[in-house]
Amino acid sequence: MKQRVRFPRAAVTGGVALAMVLSLSACGGGSDDAAGRADEIHVLVYGDATNKVEKQLVETFNKTSKVKAVLDTIPGADYQAKLQTVINSKQAPDVFFNWGGGSIKPFVDAGLLMPLDDFIAKDPGLKSNFLPSVFNTAEVDGKAYGVPMRGTQPVMLFHNKKVLREAGVSAPKTWDELLAAVKTLKAKGVTPIALGGGDKWPTQMWFQYVYDRVAGPELFRKALSGDKSAWESADSKKALGMIKELVDAGAFGTNYDSVKFTDGGSPALLATGKAAFELMGSWEYATQQDAHPDFAASDLGYGTFPTVAGGKGDPANLAGNTNNFYSVLKRTKHPEAVAEFLKLQYSDEFVKAQLGVGNLPTTTNTPDFLDTSANPAYSKYQYDLVAKAPAFQLSWDQAYPPAATTTIHTAVQQFFNGQIDADGFIASMQSLPAA
Amino acid sequence: MTTATAPAVDSEQTERTAPPRGRSASEVGRPGFAWAAPAAVFFGLFAIVPLALVVVLSFAGWDGLGPPRFVGLDNWKKLLDDPVMLESLWLSVLLTGLGVLVQTPIALLLGVWAAGHQRNRAVLSAVYFVPLLLSVTAVSVLWRAVLDPNFGVPSQARWLFGDGNLLGTQAGAIGVLAFVGAWQFTPLHTLIYQGAARAIPKVLYQAAEIDGAGRYRRFFHITLPQLRNSIITSTILMVVGGLTTFDTVLILTQGGPGTDTTISAYYMYQKAFKSFDFGAGAAVALLLVLVATVISLVLVRLSGYDRMRSTMEGL
Repeated sequence: MKQRVRFPRAAVTGGVALAMVLSLSACGGGSDDAAGRADEIHVLVYGDATNKVEKQLVETFNKTSKVKAVLDTIPGADYQAKLQTVINSKQAPDVFFNWGGGSIKPFVDAGLLMPLDDFIAKDPGLKSNFLPSVFNTAEVDGKAYGVPMRGTQPVMLFHNKKVLREAGVSAPKTWDELLAAVKTLKAKGVTPIALGGGDKWPTQMWFQYVYDRVAGPELFRKALSGDKSAWESADSKKALGMIKELVDAGAFGTNYDSVKFTDGGSPALLATGKAAFELMGSWEYATQQDAHPDFAASDLGYGTFPTVAGGKGDPANLAGNTNNFYSVLKRTKHPEAVAEFLKLQYSDEFVKAQLGVGNLPTTTNTPDFLDTSANPAYSKYQYDLVAKAPAFQLSWDQAYPPAATTTIHTAVQQFFNGQIDADGFIASMQSLPAA
Repeated sequence: MTTATAPAVDSEQTERTAPPRGRSASEVGRPGFAWAAPAAVFFGLFAIVPLALVVVLSFAGWDGLGPPRFVGLDNWKKLLDDPVMLESLWLSVLLTGLGVLVQTPIALLLGVWAAGHQRNRAVLSAVYFVPLLLSVTAVSVLWRAVLDPNFGVPSQARWLFGDGNLLGTQAGAIGVLAFVGAWQFTPLHTLIYQGAARAIPKVLYQAAEIDGAGRYRRFFHITLPQLRNSIITSTILMVVGGLTTFDTVLILTQGGPGTDTTISAYYMYQKAFKSFDFGAGAAVALLLVLVATVISLVLVRLSGYDRMRSTMEGL
């Protein structure tokens, strides 16, 4: 019968293809590859240019250790999804790269990770050799679960020196100066602030800093621990009011949601002088050096986020990516070897190699080598910021577990474009699960 | 007894007692089940089994870490109360509808035009075909760059695009998605129509010309009716393709602004692979299967695809 044959084709191709995509991920780890793993530890890292350093350290480790380390990499974009499927299987690594905070919280809850307290008790250097505001990020429920293993990336307010000069504006130190600068720049026909709203996380950066300046880091910590009332506090509403004021003043222009940072859109705005400021992670510098080397060399200025009069947050507080971390799985067969491997993460060799690829490590011995970095002035400035910061707020979407990311990103975008008001934003944030 | 000489044998009897010379079609070279086995096994393994697993998963809570936990109807209850889910279904249908409305007339006209055997038409048809050869991902990235509000076409055509905030508004983002989809897939449908239009017997046109039918009458009274089956085929392809669109959304809008272009397929991906809530993702997937099934059913019924008649009747 023709009818019977035809119909499933049309419908089933439509639906089942989708269903397949989903369930394929379900069949992940099954087979055991224990063969040859007896005296190996597997180190899983995010695949990118920094792997050079990780490779070097693994080689150094293998020279002296009886247990050999094996470096496995997963290309960037797939990392979190692949990690999630592999971590509770037999192919799970012994040590793996992560972002601290919410990125490891689900694994801690599932009882997969080893608290590093014993390691630290044996070698206090595993904690004391790192900047505390960074080390804290990988603490979950008061226990340390990660050792910093790459560079720190605080968010800073970058500007185009030439545009500011021509507009007769100086880099703003306070929120009011920022608002005044926005007004002046707008009158000159310049978009005051470049924003890659299409990526959503650049928009989130504004919330992180304004909340921290107004309410201090405590508000977010409270909210993160599950106290939803934090979001409806007076400070929260004040922060939202300030952001709204900035957006309504035209600080970001009107088409920021069609612009992305990741495809080079917003950095180009800053570099070509179409915009005056951009709030971005410290990688902005490398991005500009790569895409607009002349601009990076002569006109790229940087500074901290403006202070807010009457705000509770310390003006030296930072937000951004504190660092990446190595965490250890409970089921590792070679905890001693892992501890030795982690010790390499504060060695002189580690610091030199990281600086060599443009990362800024967060070990206490880093200042000794800052002169060897590609841009000593910039590295020193950043290192001082991080070393002196009373609090370093991990990006919200990383502080919460991955399940919260979409909700946060949607809320910040909708608040900026006016689809939701302060109450709508508060309700969205209150719908997040506690971390 | 031979069928040739038996005047009034009923057909059933003929089939049963047919001698070698007059075998009915059903017996001629009809392959056994073994022939279908590879395809059936493949389909079962990669379509039916996963579908069954997804059904199971939709009643479970699973983040990929521990074993799945049975949660009954929780995922479904949450889904039906979820405004984003309902919106996503509507958006999927809207985008699909837009795709059909935009692509069908263009593809139809282009296809009929390209069916001519003139050399310039052959050359241009080859050019029109190019977008189909590019990967959807590459096409999306390309259009994202072309439509950049500050450095792309909109910055040079303010009179048309205003501030160029195409991807920052719902109407703009949906328009871009429909446009990029049309740019990429119109060639496929053009090809279908080109082939079909070439198959229309010339005698029909010749007869019409003798009767004094002009160009438009010939198009509406000969070409269109003759393309009926191709229109149905092409529409069904568009609907299936439209409901499963995913890559263009992932690259161009990521479901934004807000959730304004979060179509069901993208929502499923978000739930499963961004939030690691595989149970909820499975439920979205099933709902999409359900909706796609209903739409296909309706389409098949309405269009008469199930009892497709030949357009060669009377020739």
